[in-house]
Amino acid sequence: MTPYEVAGLTVLAIGVALLLVGTVWVVNSTNSRAFKIDVAPSRGSMTRGVAYAFSLGMAPWAKESTRRHLIAYVRGIVFHTGVFLSLGVLVVSPWLWQLPEALRVAVAIVLAVGAVAAVGGYWIRLTDEALRRVSTPDDYFSLGLVTVLISVAAMACVIESWITGFWIVSGFTLAYLPIGKLKHSIFFFYTRFQFGTFFGHRGVLKISRRAQ
Amino acid sequence: MTESVSPKLKEQFGKLVDRRLMASLEACVRCGICAESCHYYQADPKPENTPFFRAEQVRSVYRSMFDPIGKIAPRWVGAKPPTQERMADLTDMAFTNCTLCRRCTVNCPFGVDTAAIMRSVRAVASANDEAPEILTQLADASIAREENMDLFKDIYLEQIEMMEEELQSLTGDPDAKIPVDVEGVDVLYVALSGAHTILPAARLFHETGTDWCLSMFEAANYGLFVADTPKAKKITDRIVKEAKRLNAKRVVVTDCGHAYTTLRWEAPNWYGEPFPFEVTSLIELLAGWITDGTLEVDPSRNTESVTYHDSCNLGRVSGLIDEPRTILRAVCEDFRDMTPSGENNYCCGGGGGLVAIEEAVEKRLLAGKPKAEQIRATGAVLVAASCDNCRIQLGDIATNYSLGTQVTGLPELVLNALIPSVSRKNRSGSERRVNSVTAVGD
Repeated sequence: MTPYEVAGLTVLAIGVALLLVGTVWVVNSTNSRAFKIDVAPSRGSMTRGVAYAFSLGMAPWAKESTRRHLIAYVRGIVFHTGVFLSLGVLVVSPWLWQLPEALRVAVAIVLAVGAVAAVGGYWIRLTDEALRRVSTPDDYFSLGLVTVLISVAAMACVIESWITGFWIVSGFTLAYLPIGKLKHSIFFFYTRFQFGTFFGHRGVLKISRRAQ
Repeated sequence: MTESVSPKLKEQFGKLVDRRLMASLEACVRCGICAESCHYYQADPKPENTPFFRAEQVRSVYRSMFDPIGKIAPRWVGAKPPTQERMADLTDMAFTNCTLCRRCTVNCPFGVDTAAIMRSVRAVASANDEAPEILTQLADASIAREENMDLFKDIYLEQIEMMEEELQSLTGDPDAKIPVDVEGVDVLYVALSGAHTILPAARLFHETGTDWCLSMFEAANYGLFVADTPKAKKITDRIVKEAKRLNAKRVVVTDCGHAYTTLRWEAPNWYGEPFPFEVTSLIELLAGWITDGTLEVDPSRNTESVTYHDSCNLGRVSGLIDEPRTILRAVCEDFRDMTPSGENNYCCGGGGGLVAIEEAVEKRLLAGKPKAEQIRATGAVLVAASCDNCRIQLGDIATNYSLGTQVTGLPELVLNALIPSVSRKNRSGSERRVNSVTAVGD
């Protein structure tokens, strides 16, 4: 193992450690906030509501907003596919180059498309007046960090020497996740769960109404 | 004015940030796709009218007080201190630029509850006596009514006596009553101020032979609009105490969006337990009576085209989406649903207490534009709505946008289509006579 590789793994290990500590801190500070179980008698099903919120409720046809902004929705899906695939590449990175070349190239292509979709995020943010006005440096930095992550993951799939660089970028990204805008990946689970319980319990969602 | 407001604001806001609110404050990624879901943006597409832009103004203050990065490097995350000027702007926004309709929540990929964010601003404003005066006065008036019940009771009973005479004339039954204060009653009916929500319901209760009595208090709860939970609870408590005292089996709330939401969904959580009585809406009751044949109706008596406006509090917030349609399909010949409707229905622009705020009349008429376009697209002559505030706004936008529509309520349409039980009895009697004659003839 070269000193560069040792440095790369060290950054990654620190990043993972900070991710864990940060996530525990975010979850704890959120869970320490007051939470009331809804005691009003149900006219629907919370369980069905939650199941819907995390499945069909996320389909592009489920919401008027995603139907209307189909291109933005598809961009988001492709971008996030790139993010999750990058994390997958990170997990298998010690054995990445033992995988068949065709598979690595295919993954690299998907990641490259994901990176392009990530750059598309800048275009959307800069061309829409309302988004430009509410965007913070953190928004641009977080998007940039993830764009670099996906791009370097793609490169690591086709050039072996990029793996160490990928570890370093991953370390920084994971460390930043619980601090800045990327923590939406934690709160996503809270808000979708709350959406499902609220509208499911009250029988607003058709799927929860049928369960009565 | 740029100086920071007192530290008590942090304490006030901090108490409001529960797990639900915190998640909604933290989760938004400012993707922007909620923009068109808001009726304000539809009517006037500018950044300030998007849900994410409005919520971001609150988030920036939240970050300055509660986000570690917001405290260390405020510019990095767009944190802004809660100056008096900023808080005044937020208050105005929360009371007049958002009707708490939750259409953006339904359309958000995360399900961010922007209404909860706006309610938190309303609550802080109320705690600092910055809420619109009229809303506070209306809430206080409800509380004063209970505190001075001796003063109000005689006047109220006199009014009911006059309504009773009208009921007797309308039903042709000299024994028809509007009972109050009846112990062990099946239904305690909670109406709004004025005869318009009492008489139609009284006729329907009379028709169905329901064991009922009228509440001494009105259903409206302006404590909810000013997000003052202790006040809202105090207003609700009048009805809860009355229902418990009378040992009522059910409390039926008149067709009023926020009143139903308050008693059905919010109030049990203020008390920390379900009520010992069932809470239903008059709309649920009517739909049930029509479905099980308790009420017989003839749709040919309502020949005009009718569309239905879902009150956000009844539809999107309470799930009463099928019931009004069950009623309208049964009592009208030509029911035309709006597009979109149900949980995707547009707010009329008068929700969240806006109808009562005189200074916001221009804003609410503008915000009613998408609803006006929806109504126009149906080509309907009548617009039915199950909420008094909605009905006021729908009347105003009909005038403002020259829709040529009339506004009505569901009980009125049901009464119009009603085949009175007396006629049914006569009819079934004559049918029996015909049958017996036929039998003899055979």
